[in-house]
Amino acid sequence: MLLLIAILLIAWVVARFPKAPLGPRYVGAGHQTPQPGGTLIFSAGSNIHTLDPHFAYDTLSTAACRLLYDGLLDYDYDGNMIPSLAADLPTISDAGRVFRFRLRDGIKFHNGREILADDISWSLHRLLSKAIGSPGYPFYKSIVGAPAYHKGEVERIEGIVVIDDKTIEFRLDEADQTFLNALAMPFAYPLAKEHVEKLEEAEGRDAVGRHPVGAGPFAFSGWERGVQVDLERFEQYWAPQARPDRMIFLENISADVASARFRNGDLDIIYRPSKVNRLFLRASEPWAPYRAEAPSAAVFALGLNCELPPFDNVHVRRAVAFAIDRSKLERLDPGQVIAAGQVLPPMLAPYDAELPEKQTFDLERAKEQMRLAGLPDGPAQPVTLWVRGEGEVQVAQLFQQDLKAIGIEMDLKMVSFATYLKETGRPRVAQAAFTGWHQDFPDPSNFMDILFHSRSIHPENSENRSFYRNNELDAILDRARAEVDRALRLALYAKANAILARDAPWAFLYYPVDMFAWQPYVKGFRPHPVWLNEYRNVWLDLPRKRVSQAIYQDEAAP
Amino acid sequence: MMRFVAQRAIWGVLVIMSVVTLVFFLIFVAGDPAVTILGPQARAEQIADFKAKKGLDRPVPEQFMSYLGLMPCIRKDSPKYHREDGSPGFCGILQGDLGESYSHHESVARVIGHRLPRTLLLASLAVLFELFIGLSAGIFAALRRNRWSDTAIMFATFVGISLPTYVTGPIALLLFAFLLGWFPFGGYGVDPVDHIYHALLPALVLAIAGAATYARVMRGELIETLRHDHVRTAKAKGMPMRQVIIKHAIRNALLPIATLVGLSLPFLVGGAIITEKIFAWPGLGLLTIEAIESLDAPVIMAVVLMFGIAVQVGNLLADIAVAALDPRIRLG
Repeated sequence: MLLLIAILLIAWVVARFPKAPLGPRYVGAGHQTPQPGGTLIFSAGSNIHTLDPHFAYDTLSTAACRLLYDGLLDYDYDGNMIPSLAADLPTISDAGRVFRFRLRDGIKFHNGREILADDISWSLHRLLSKAIGSPGYPFYKSIVGAPAYHKGEVERIEGIVVIDDKTIEFRLDEADQTFLNALAMPFAYPLAKEHVEKLEEAEGRDAVGRHPVGAGPFAFSGWERGVQVDLERFEQYWAPQARPDRMIFLENISADVASARFRNGDLDIIYRPSKVNRLFLRASEPWAPYRAEAPSAAVFALGLNCELPPFDNVHVRRAVAFAIDRSKLERLDPGQVIAAGQVLPPMLAPYDAELPEKQTFDLERAKEQMRLAGLPDGPAQPVTLWVRGEGEVQVAQLFQQDLKAIGIEMDLKMVSFATYLKETGRPRVAQAAFTGWHQDFPDPSNFMDILFHSRSIHPENSENRSFYRNNELDAILDRARAEVDRALRLALYAKANAILARDAPWAFLYYPVDMFAWQPYVKGFRPHPVWLNEYRNVWLDLPRKRVSQAIYQDEAAP
Repeated sequence: MMRFVAQRAIWGVLVIMSVVTLVFFLIFVAGDPAVTILGPQARAEQIADFKAKKGLDRPVPEQFMSYLGLMPCIRKDSPKYHREDGSPGFCGILQGDLGESYSHHESVARVIGHRLPRTLLLASLAVLFELFIGLSAGIFAALRRNRWSDTAIMFATFVGISLPTYVTGPIALLLFAFLLGWFPFGGYGVDPVDHIYHALLPALVLAIAGAATYARVMRGELIETLRHDHVRTAKAKGMPMRQVIIKHAIRNALLPIATLVGLSLPFLVGGAIITEKIFAWPGLGLLTIEAIESLDAPVIMAVVLMFGIAVQVGNLLADIAVAALDPRIRLG
């Protein structure tokens, strides 16, 4: 009897528990124009590796470096290249081989010193030096003399020429428009020479990453490793705008904890919430104005080896591309993926949603292609798909059934990441492999040249892991890389995009989708097509006001 | 009195010494710090380089003596490694040098300097809560002995003692932070006021067991004291009940509580390890977990040393406090 009463009592208490917050706990003060002040708090699931832009190659370090540093070039929210520390886009001469930049007036490092052309040159020399060993070197090796300098054979890079205090020129070995994309990467963000030299002498090489002095909108104020990075507004930043006084970048906050903190009003912006919270935020009416989903600049696919049967036959490859029902993936993980039918992700021109050649699920066409290949009943032997982990096994299993429908038996072979990289980079080893690509910079060449140009085939470590060779495509890509006229370039890449969708060296699967949500008092945030966590333009509508959760229940009521 | 303190201090140093020795050698049994820190992809020369820099390539006994500061410094990255005149420098704990953290790339003293104040804030808030809640509940229950409110309080203390922080912590987070929105969902906050606000909930959770213990002890002691002759005398002289309780009864009943508080200090720090993990409170506790996970030997050693000192000092203070409160005890 006592037990029964206790259980009833507990049930009664639990039933009277407040519900999880249905909507934002806080709203803004209602300012219409940007206001300075406040502290913006955001978080990441792991450690920030470095605050030295010359080593920043992961998303978290890049996100932090974007706040601390600034470069000659940047991208706007449409993915167009815009000048940042440069006064204007460069003048291009010598058939696309020479780029001349003029620096903006009044640009300063956080120590108050004006940034000169010498600083740009000195930073690039640091970046490309052998002693530093930056992972960014390959993006800049087209500068005249860069490889010799990197090997330590010469003292200076011939192709980096300081004309005067405000003018700098870059000369390349061959015309390459993607050099500008390389200059827009955080690797090329300038550091204050006097600060770096003093620090490196006193505390060693990695000291720079611990106490950075850059030229970005926020200056360094502290970094407790593994806990948080503290930044404060830099008043002399060249683009004056109302920004928060402080930014706090918390490290090592798991997605679950970050989601709970966000819904509790303790975090201002969340990126990639945990699955259950993502589903909640997607469905939540009160959160609708304060969330966004954006495909990230990446694509995943089944890579088909064009040198090995049966995928040496273009019809078999096309059959696979038509046989895969990509909507299964969208149903498996709603809102997490978008079906892909071409190599370029949706935010990257010349992506074409209506591309006639795009790969879509069409069983009849798939069977037709198998007949054209002379294999109406499928190949005699099963094919082997190399996968890197449990997650990929799950995805691949979804499509095994689809391929069976056109007579292809697919076995899965799970290998370690290291084995995968080594073996799939060798010709004639892996028949098919689960594959994908994250962009380094927003240019079609970063997908197509690297993944499908025959130049990317090597005896070891091929980037072209489907070993696809097409002289027509190579010629188009080479012309496009050098072409100065943007419209013409994009037209060439559109052609290449269509060829790749049609020839199907990859059966494209999906583009991953990122979810962002922000508090109602956080203004000026929206997903950026290039930078994953872009907080340069955020301002806070303070003081924030607490609102009762009851208003959301009222809204839900009929 | 002085003699007693000195005796206890010497005894304490001996205990700390043995713990430090034991842990130092245990770390080497647990694994290779160089491999753990540099990760599975590290090349052999990187590992060798790291070991040479940290002196990990020397025989373990030499490392230990150098760590204590009884032998010259073997850490090549320490400023004390080379002296201008060529004579060896020392960089051990006897010189006040705790070394440099492997994973934080900072001196251990600085890392702990960040973390210790946070743990002290948490622990001192917890002690305040323990005493306030525990003593008031205990006195209340004692004065209403055997009524339903006394029973309810004693039942609550029973539950409070039984529930570990890894149960109460997540429940508190869910209920008071996520569902009710009264407190932040873990973390440390951005300014001093915010730090205290963030500390309230973990401190409460940390205080539950202590408060429950104190309530039970206080109740028992007070009931006991209320029966004593001196209380009866006070009552008989017509002293108001309120004054009798405050002046005569409670003061006496506080004695065992003082001992308990002193003895509980190390447990507060120990309990804080779990509580800090649950509430993502970046104090010494969380640092300890991180250091053990990454085999960050200098940090582990420093933390062990500090906890050892905390236990010894806590015990000593408890003894002194009891002596001060109880005129019958004379130390030394």
